Amino acid sequence: MINTCALILAGLVAAPLAGGLVNGLDRILTARFQARVGPPVVQPFYDVVKLLGKEKTVVNVWQAFCAYCYLAATAISVVLFFLQSDLLLILFIQAVGAVFLVIGALSSTSPYSQVGAQRELLQILSYEPLLVLVTVGIYLETGSFKIGQVYAWDEPLLLKLPFLFVVLGYALTIKLRKSPFDLSTSHHGHQELVKGLLTDYSGPFLALTEIGHWFEVVLILGLCSLFWATSWIGMIIIVATTYFLEIVIDNVSARMNWRWMLGYVWAMGLTLSVVNLVWLYVR
Amino acid sequence: MVTNEWNIVIVEELVFVLIVLPFLAAICSYLIRSGAVRSFIVLATGSLMAASALLLIPRVPFAFSPKALFGVGVHDIILAADFFLLFLILYFGFKHHSLVIKILALFQIVLMAYLEFFLIRDDAAFLTIYCDNLTLIMVLIISIVGSIICVQAIPYMKNYEEHLDLKKSRQHRFFFVMILFLGAMNGLVLSNDMVFFYFFFEVTTLCSFLLIAHDGTETAIKNAVRALWMNSLGGAAFIVALVLIYKEMGALDMQRIVHTSPAAGLCLLALALLCFAAFTKAAQFPFQGWLLGAMVAPTPVSALLHSSTMVKVGVYLVLRLAPAMNGTFLSQCVALFGGFTFLAAAALAVGQSNGKKVLAYSTISNLGLIFACAGLNIPEAITAAILLVIFHAVIKALLFLCVGTIEQHIESRDIEDMRGLYAQMPLTALTTVMGVIMMIMPPFGVLLGKWMAMEAAARNLYVIIMIALGSALTVMYWARWAGTLMSDPFAGRFRPERQPLLTWAALASLCAGGGVLSIAAPWLYSRMIIPALNGNYVPPYTVHVGILENSFGVFPVLPLCLVAALGFVISIWAVRRAARARIIAPYLSGLQTAEPGVFRGPMNRLVKAEARNYYLSSIFGEERLTTWINLGAAVLLTLLVGGAL
Repeated sequence: MINTCALILAGLVAAPLAGGLVNGLDRILTARFQARVGPPVVQPFYDVVKLLGKEKTVVNVWQAFCAYCYLAATAISVVLFFLQSDLLLILFIQAVGAVFLVIGALSSTSPYSQVGAQRELLQILSYEPLLVLVTVGIYLETGSFKIGQVYAWDEPLLLKLPFLFVVLGYALTIKLRKSPFDLSTSHHGHQELVKGLLTDYSGPFLALTEIGHWFEVVLILGLCSLFWATSWIGMIIIVATTYFLEIVIDNVSARMNWRWMLGYVWAMGLTLSVVNLVWLYVR
Repeated sequence: MVTNEWNIVIVEELVFVLIVLPFLAAICSYLIRSGAVRSFIVLATGSLMAASALLLIPRVPFAFSPKALFGVGVHDIILAADFFLLFLILYFGFKHHSLVIKILALFQIVLMAYLEFFLIRDDAAFLTIYCDNLTLIMVLIISIVGSIICVQAIPYMKNYEEHLDLKKSRQHRFFFVMILFLGAMNGLVLSNDMVFFYFFFEVTTLCSFLLIAHDGTETAIKNAVRALWMNSLGGAAFIVALVLIYKEMGALDMQRIVHTSPAAGLCLLALALLCFAAFTKAAQFPFQGWLLGAMVAPTPVSALLHSSTMVKVGVYLVLRLAPAMNGTFLSQCVALFGGFTFLAAAALAVGQSNGKKVLAYSTISNLGLIFACAGLNIPEAITAAILLVIFHAVIKALLFLCVGTIEQHIESRDIEDMRGLYAQMPLTALTTVMGVIMMIMPPFGVLLGKWMAMEAAARNLYVIIMIALGSALTVMYWARWAGTLMSDPFAGRFRPERQPLLTWAALASLCAGGGVLSIAAPWLYSRMIIPALNGNYVPPYTVHVGILENSFGVFPVLPLCLVAALGFVISIWAVRRAARARIIAPYLSGLQTAEPGVFRGPMNRLVKAEARNYYLSSIFGEERLTTWINLGAAVLLTLLVGGAL
């Protein structure tokens, strides 16, 4: 019982802190790639605190509702991950968060929000099936969807599921909205899309979506860690390498359009998944 | 012993209320042409049926064979009615000059005569009525959800006819068929004698034909005729299956068929033909046309066809037969076919901006998922299928009634016209959004079913890929719709719109029903679904403080519901606080003007900013996909029937 409470607390408090720090590191690394110094590592926290202190303004009260629901869903998914619950269920719950973020953006009539929301739906459409297939692969290898049993598996999953790890990489890049998949919103607010999905979230509600994003980052890194769960060092290396690659890809690629994304990701992702899954089936 | 006999008497009375009473009530509402009396009949029949269905709960399983009804042998009544029905269909074939219907009706008449007068021996007697928990679940859905839809139809039809400005009301005809439909559905699921089952099967075909044709317009007639021939095709397959089964087993007893596997000599082709009949009823590809065409009818008809009746006949039949198919190639084909339909219908739904068409494709898609589960034929999958049947019935009825209410108000069923509906009809818009949420989000029942389905399908490569893709498409078309409903302009204070009391009652009961049943899902599982597995399957999950768990998965239903409720309360509190926040205009990247959505653009001109949803019709459009999907489905169907030969 004590253990459960500690895990819930860790999920609710430690996870967003870790997510914020990762975000800070991301910004420093990106800056270095671009020959800048970059902000201090705790800058994301300063940003959120500042946003939280701003005046509340909304275009539609449902946007506030959606921002809270997004945060709640992402937090619940991370807590369930810490409690070592069912992988598929966790995916469903993070999808709830993603959907609420879209509904919130759709509640504004601004074309930037609207287009951003539609593109975000296409992003969800691109990565959702891939994430499901990755969990299916994990299940076929370990015989369980429960994270506890996946962590207890005595062989690194990466060796059996190499292609599915690549597929997970695609899904994560889309989920984190990194280039070339930063269609729905981007880090810079001065492009054709303005801030897309997030254009009309402002002040404290924008802060909520930012905290929600930190939870998502942690969940994603958690998913990566499943692939080398036999030792702490392996886990840290795989997570760090993956995230570093994400940042590199983000910096070296340009934004593509949704047609390319949907076609490329489904074709590549499905092919790689099928090949890897067939290995597992014929065994 | 006395109590036992007494129990049987009660059960017989309840079954009488469930099957025969609707037929009598239908005739009364046809003959007595007074609005008040008709409303009373509908309300009374609905409540009696719902109450009888609830009273049946502690009395299952039971079985009996009624000898006579009003002094005439039951079997003779059914036989006479069956021929009457087939000749009626033949008559409609002549009336509407449809060669296919004429041929199919004649074919069925000849086979029926052959079966009844030459094959079945006089002393052959099968158990007529059989009710286990699977039947009970269906009876509850039909009697409660079906009745709610009929109740909502009272204010709807009044409004509908006022709008059409009819000289003569046609409501007596409408409610005659609606109530008859419910009786026929109850009869169908309670029948153990396949001849009875076939009779009620044909009654539902005819009822849907009459309901779709209700308006009498050219399109209505055309679509109704299409529904009739497609479902007659199913009927023809059904009766061929009956002949085959009787020749093989010398009986037409559903329970005996279920407990005789093909390995034990049951004709596999007969099972395949029954599955084919089920697919036509459930409007699976390539027979989706009749269900899509059904939306020309008044909305309560669609609600009835899509949720508690008609299409559910198909899934019920396959779920009933699933134990007999276990381990066969046929079962695998059904899984594949279901998965394909789930994916294909979801893709078509993405391409639609017509709200009713989205609902129709979503029905086809969900039924496909249920078929896929039945075909996978493992305990988890069967549990998923039963859960999906229950929740889909409740929530699809809710969504159809919502769209009907919206359509009467804004006179459009296009999703784009529902933009910002919250400002006009806040309560209906919220109810619709609630329905959408219950369709795609945990911890609600549909998603619980989908979770079980996915975990059960994980060992079948083709099926799991199709389900994974299909459910992502599903999220897309529902989320888009929900967002559109809640869109700007901001409504200010929440003021519920005015609607007839019965409309609110129907919407509220369905919405609350979906929520409460979701919370009660663990109880539903252990109390209703485990017995419905009938010992054919090992109960797959253990239930512990509202947590469903098996060896490889866990879904904490009750804890999640509590957390979700907490999150919901906090979010509502946030809305109330945000109502005091400053409301600003959406960002338009230009000089805002006082008029919403208009900004001052280049050359000082006023520009109206507009955005529409992506429907991606170049990828997911009907004209692009339908032919290929029909072709794919036809190939799979050929595989299914041919593999059984």
